[in-house]
Amino acid sequence: MAASKTFMKIKTNLQLLPTVGPISIWIFLFVFAPVAVIVFISFLAAGPIGEILPRFSIESYRYLLFGGSEYGRAVLRSILYAFVTNMVCLCVGFPMAYWISKYGGKFKALFLFLVIVPSWSCYIVRIYALKQLVGYPGILNNFLLNLGFISSPINILYTPAAVVLGLIYIWLPFMVLPIYASLEGINPALLEASLDLGATPRWQFFTVTLPLTKGGIFGGTILTFIPALGDWLVPLLIGGNRVWMAGNLIQHFLVVRGKIAMASSMAVILTAAVVLLIYMFIKLGGEESMERIV
Amino acid sequence: MKVLNARKINTLLTIAGYLFIWGPIVVLGIFSFNTSAYGVKWESLTLKWYVDLFHTPAIMKAVLRSLLIASITTVFATVIGTLAGYGLYKYKFSGRRVLRMSILLPITVPYVIMAGALLVYFTRIAHIPLGYPAIIIAHISFSAPLAVFVNLGRMQRINWSLEEASVDLGANTFTTWRKVTIPLLLPSIFASAVLIFPWSFNDFTVTYFVAGVGTTTLPLYLFSMLEYSLKPVLINAISFIFIIMPIIFVLLIYSYRGKSKQTA
Repeated sequence: MAASKTFMKIKTNLQLLPTVGPISIWIFLFVFAPVAVIVFISFLAAGPIGEILPRFSIESYRYLLFGGSEYGRAVLRSILYAFVTNMVCLCVGFPMAYWISKYGGKFKALFLFLVIVPSWSCYIVRIYALKQLVGYPGILNNFLLNLGFISSPINILYTPAAVVLGLIYIWLPFMVLPIYASLEGINPALLEASLDLGATPRWQFFTVTLPLTKGGIFGGTILTFIPALGDWLVPLLIGGNRVWMAGNLIQHFLVVRGKIAMASSMAVILTAAVVLLIYMFIKLGGEESMERIV
Repeated sequence: MKVLNARKINTLLTIAGYLFIWGPIVVLGIFSFNTSAYGVKWESLTLKWYVDLFHTPAIMKAVLRSLLIASITTVFATVIGTLAGYGLYKYKFSGRRVLRMSILLPITVPYVIMAGALLVYFTRIAHIPLGYPAIIIAHISFSAPLAVFVNLGRMQRINWSLEEASVDLGANTFTTWRKVTIPLLLPSIFASAVLIFPWSFNDFTVTYFVAGVGTTTLPLYLFSMLEYSLKPVLINAISFIFIIMPIIFVLLIYSYRGKSKQTA
């Protein structure tokens, strides 16, 4: 009995090797190892021109967070912008998902595709499209000026509002999808039961529908909050490099100034924030929110 | 009455959402056929900019580079991801949950973190040359997870008794894979490839960090054009191609699905 059990185990392991083997090696070599390396480097001291010195130091963390510099503020700003983005995406994304699910009829798939398709396009193209439309000189400004709705051009580019608008524009589709999946997963019998038991449509929405889509809402939150938190192209292209977020600091230290220790510390701080938030969202939204991500 | 109001608000918000998502893209598309190179004013219809694209060798080279990278990435990521999906679905082993979470990691953590980490790792530790090798390795790390989860989704809806029947009838593991499992998984393998190819082709952040000098893909080229504000309309034309591409891919999926439904 024991022998056959061991044999089965060996057999399973042999079958495992060609299936999950390659991806395990890949993830280990190109995901875990790089992360381990930057965590290690982030605790090393840096020389005057950014070279790494083999000596333990938390100087770069201290400098980033409490250096009284612009950097600590960029981290806080990222969290604030990501939060606002997430809330607006929820306020627009939920009604969209609800509408598609309820009134989409046989065109549900089409409506859903119309939400997703733009997000498959190139990221900088979408930012550029938004910039061309709302910027100055821009198409919308020109149009409004010609019609006489406004007397002088409105320039919102390079402001925090523009950055948040850009973030919402990029990440909105990722809120709609998980909520839609959640809404479709609701057992219709529950909705009927609540009506039979005398709930008004509004009462039904808030006591039955909304709680049952919790997983979708938090799944969508992970998919909008987290990438918005780490976004660096929207602030770069729409914020004109004047409104920095945490991601810009990583790029700035790593690519522009070659300060690897500083960039690593920033990346570790951001990763810690991300992991903490994902953990929190999954705790709040339950296991379902994790399944709705993929 | 109240319900009607709620419904109206819902519809209005939905329309607003769609307008917001599509407005900038549609306007960009229209203006890519505009004669005026710098203006934001409509002048007249032209295809000049699209013709120009084909006569700019730098752009054509960037397109070829992007296509090459996306093709290699798609093949490797789809194979690795499909195999992993199969293993995760079929076998219960210790560390299965951890592996699932680890595979999710590269696609949930913001790209800028992972891309930055890869740049440090490639240049300082692994000594993998920046350029094609680095870009392709990085792209596989980020897109193989997509294939894993697309395939896992499909596997939950497959009739696995066909595989058992094949084994019962005396086929060995390899034959079963070739004749039964892979044909069963073909739709999700195809779907993964259709998802991964445009991902790799469109990716900016990851490529930007690990490309080094000289391996300018199309998104990188576009970025440099934006930074130095070169010919906006030429940018519009490239952008429009980027937008049209996923739509073509969606149509591809649709036609494929239609076909597989007919044969089934």
